[in-house]
Amino acid sequence: MHGILLESVTRRFGEVYAVDGIDLKVGKSEFVTLLGPSGCGKTTTLRMVAGLEENDGGRITIGERVVSDRDSRLFVPPDQRRLGMVFQSYAIWPHMTVSENVGYPLRIRRRPAAEVREKVIQALRLVEMEAYADRPAPLLSGGQQQRVAIARALVFEPEVLLLDEPLSNLDAKLRTQTGDEFRAIQKRLGITTLYVTHDQAEAMALSDRVVVMEAGKVLQIGTPEDVYERPKSRAVAAFFGSPNFAEGTVSACRAQGDLYALDVKGDGWNGSALADRSYAHGEPATIMLRPENLRIGEHPADGQIAWSGRVTQSIYRGAQRSITVDVGGRNLRVEAPAMQRAAVGDNVSLTVVPGSAWAIGD
Amino acid sequence: MIRRGNLWLYGLIILLAFLTVYPLTTLLFGSLHSTPPGLPGEYNLDGYAKVLSPRNLEVLWNSVAIAMAKTVISVTLAVAFAWIVARTDTPFRGTLEVLLTLPFFIPPIITATAWSLLGNPQVGIVNIAWRWLTGTDAPLINVYSFGGIIWHMVQHTVPFIFLLTVDAFRAMDPSLEESSRMSGASRTQTFFRITLVLMLPVVSSAFILSFMRGIEAFESPLFFGTPANIQVLVTEIYRAINVNAVPDYQYATAMAFSMMVFLFLLVVAQWRLLGGRSFVTVSGKGYSPGVMRLGRWRWVAFAACMLFFVLAVLLPLGQLLLGSFVRFVGFYQWDMFTLQNYVNVFKSREIWRAFSNTMILGVVGSTATMILGGIVAYVSVRTRWRGRRLIDALAWLPWMMPGMVLGIGLLWGYAILPGPIQLYGTIWALLLAYITLGTPLAVRIMSGSYQQLSFDLEESSRVHGASWWQTLWRILVALSWPAFAVGWTLTFFGIMRELSASVLLYSINTEVLSVVMLNLWSAGRQEEVMVIGLLTMLLVFVFRWVQLIAIRRHISSL
Repeated sequence: MHGILLESVTRRFGEVYAVDGIDLKVGKSEFVTLLGPSGCGKTTTLRMVAGLEENDGGRITIGERVVSDRDSRLFVPPDQRRLGMVFQSYAIWPHMTVSENVGYPLRIRRRPAAEVREKVIQALRLVEMEAYADRPAPLLSGGQQQRVAIARALVFEPEVLLLDEPLSNLDAKLRTQTGDEFRAIQKRLGITTLYVTHDQAEAMALSDRVVVMEAGKVLQIGTPEDVYERPKSRAVAAFFGSPNFAEGTVSACRAQGDLYALDVKGDGWNGSALADRSYAHGEPATIMLRPENLRIGEHPADGQIAWSGRVTQSIYRGAQRSITVDVGGRNLRVEAPAMQRAAVGDNVSLTVVPGSAWAIGD
Repeated sequence: MIRRGNLWLYGLIILLAFLTVYPLTTLLFGSLHSTPPGLPGEYNLDGYAKVLSPRNLEVLWNSVAIAMAKTVISVTLAVAFAWIVARTDTPFRGTLEVLLTLPFFIPPIITATAWSLLGNPQVGIVNIAWRWLTGTDAPLINVYSFGGIIWHMVQHTVPFIFLLTVDAFRAMDPSLEESSRMSGASRTQTFFRITLVLMLPVVSSAFILSFMRGIEAFESPLFFGTPANIQVLVTEIYRAINVNAVPDYQYATAMAFSMMVFLFLLVVAQWRLLGGRSFVTVSGKGYSPGVMRLGRWRWVAFAACMLFFVLAVLLPLGQLLLGSFVRFVGFYQWDMFTLQNYVNVFKSREIWRAFSNTMILGVVGSTATMILGGIVAYVSVRTRWRGRRLIDALAWLPWMMPGMVLGIGLLWGYAILPGPIQLYGTIWALLLAYITLGTPLAVRIMSGSYQQLSFDLEESSRVHGASWWQTLWRILVALSWPAFAVGWTLTFFGIMRELSASVLLYSINTEVLSVVMLNLWSAGRQEEVMVIGLLTMLLVFVFRWVQLIAIRRHISSL
């Protein structure tokens, strides 16, 4: 039993492949996020699951039911897919009150009035909006509209919930709060959720698994830890923050659990790194170093990658300090605690937190 | 998006083609056909040979000169009025707006009859009063002249351009003007360098539209030009069919087709000038523009607006009132007053029939037009169907089809329809013509309304279980009905106003009010025309009043 299954799903606009043969399996009650820059095809993918966009190739299954299969010309229109969806603009109908908006999916399905009333109240209580039930929709603030949109998507207990950048129109503080609340509701109801966003922090905070997309293709699927700490490609690594990359050659390789531990030697440095495949002796490797995993002023232990260099930039950001260190002609970015004293021109030593260096597969 | 809808869409194309392309095709056919519609004949270019006469050069020149003169005057007045109403502290601006736009809703044939009496050089009240005041013998004004034609057109064009431009003045972001003031420009400099320039796209498209409507206008040259032997394109066509002893259909049809081509060239010129933006509508939302303090001048502005209202509405209304109670217009003595005209009108079965025909055609016609317009706008704005541009273009064609031209095209079209389908002489003949003429405006209004609604509102409804039809009804129709209502009213007034196509397509039993008025007028029963005109005008006032209340209630509730 799965929630959503996409099998080589494709969507073309003229000559351009907006979505190019995507395979994805979303488990029941799982929260999966499609993440990528604008134009990567994530919204198109979501809209094909919704039935708002027709796939040119491949098959889409929701629960046990095939809803779109290009080969057998099967296409279930959106209204018969039994989904809940939250739009980026919320799409709250301005000619209805809050409870009319929320009750719409039930009234359309001709449920008895008493049931509609009861379920609307329940859904509104879930998002803490029951006090606004009779308010005309245009009088709501952005955050309130967002809650109403969620209530409307949940009101008839759909198998699957789709969300298209639902938090992007909220201010930063409200965004975190609403996101956390929504994740709590999703976990409690155990509802299968497909979520689209371009915000990496949001994706990692909310999801069970993240699908990183670029130019209509899936780059990597994995838990937030996977895609952040163990990216399969430079593109995925670079999508989250601004990592440092160091080129080296592998001098030793041994298995360590599911992964491999490497000894890597580069220009003026050497030490150990982890990888998800084995490397031959002398094979080149690209090592990713997250800025927050570099330490200033600590003595390197045996096997720990380390440099010494000079501070060329030091920016105080409140929560942390962004420091650039010149090590033998190249710059490394470091995110240090704000209390770290490092003035431009200081000579410092740099060490890499053990176990954080990662050899990118390709 | 639409899967089973393709059949519907082909049906829509066929319907639109029948309404617009069909009469155009039969127009071309008729212009090459030597005998009247329905009779066997041969094909030749005699019609076009006749069109190319030196006399018609003068006719063309008359049309162009009159349309240009009335447009320049009307645009100047209308922009001034729009600015006064939208951007100054002139008192009673809300009332002024209602009063200034009123002539737009009055059928021109009514004001034409009123002004032919008011400004008659011998018996016109204005001239009688002038002679009495000054003691001279010479009349002050003579409406049977170029000036008379232009003045009558101006009365109906000013409100039209006012309606097109006033919201653009209102919707303007005040900070654009404020930053000009902060950069050191005076009020006057700001008005000419910023305000007016920003308004230029709206004003220039209003200008061209007004010019085209000036070429097409029928009532003004018919009432004020024909007696003075000033012919324009439209009256020349009318003369060839309805006035000459032997109707010359081929010549009239060739003339109508040439006129269409001329208007088409104008439209092309407009496209090139404005980059395809033929009709700019600006939504009046979001800003509360700065209001200019006029000081003592605000009463001058108020008086200017009121003067227009008095001349364009009150004077004709007074004339209708007076004329409807006398035995003979022009002889205004106590012993001439009578109620006989009212008795005649109310006892006339023909007039009652025309009244009910007009009402039926108005209600059915505007409903059908708006539904068609709503569907066409939906297809062209909301779907990605490949044929949507064709549908849009078909629905737009009547923009350059004057009522007279369409009327002739339909005369031919109805005559050559296959045997069992008989439209000529039925009320359907008029209904189809009205729908054709009203469609472009209906499409504009509905597509403007749809464009303001985001796609998400519909898609959200689909995802949450509503079918395509349910969504159309519960979301799109529910949200765009105010636009539908506005469009319905405009189309209804348009049908009440229509004369030039009706006069060609009516027959016994299918007369409409405007045609009856024209016929009574030609028969010299002017006093009864006054009665009908007066009653129609009252009806227009009531209608407009109800509409304004409905709009106000709707807006305040939103």
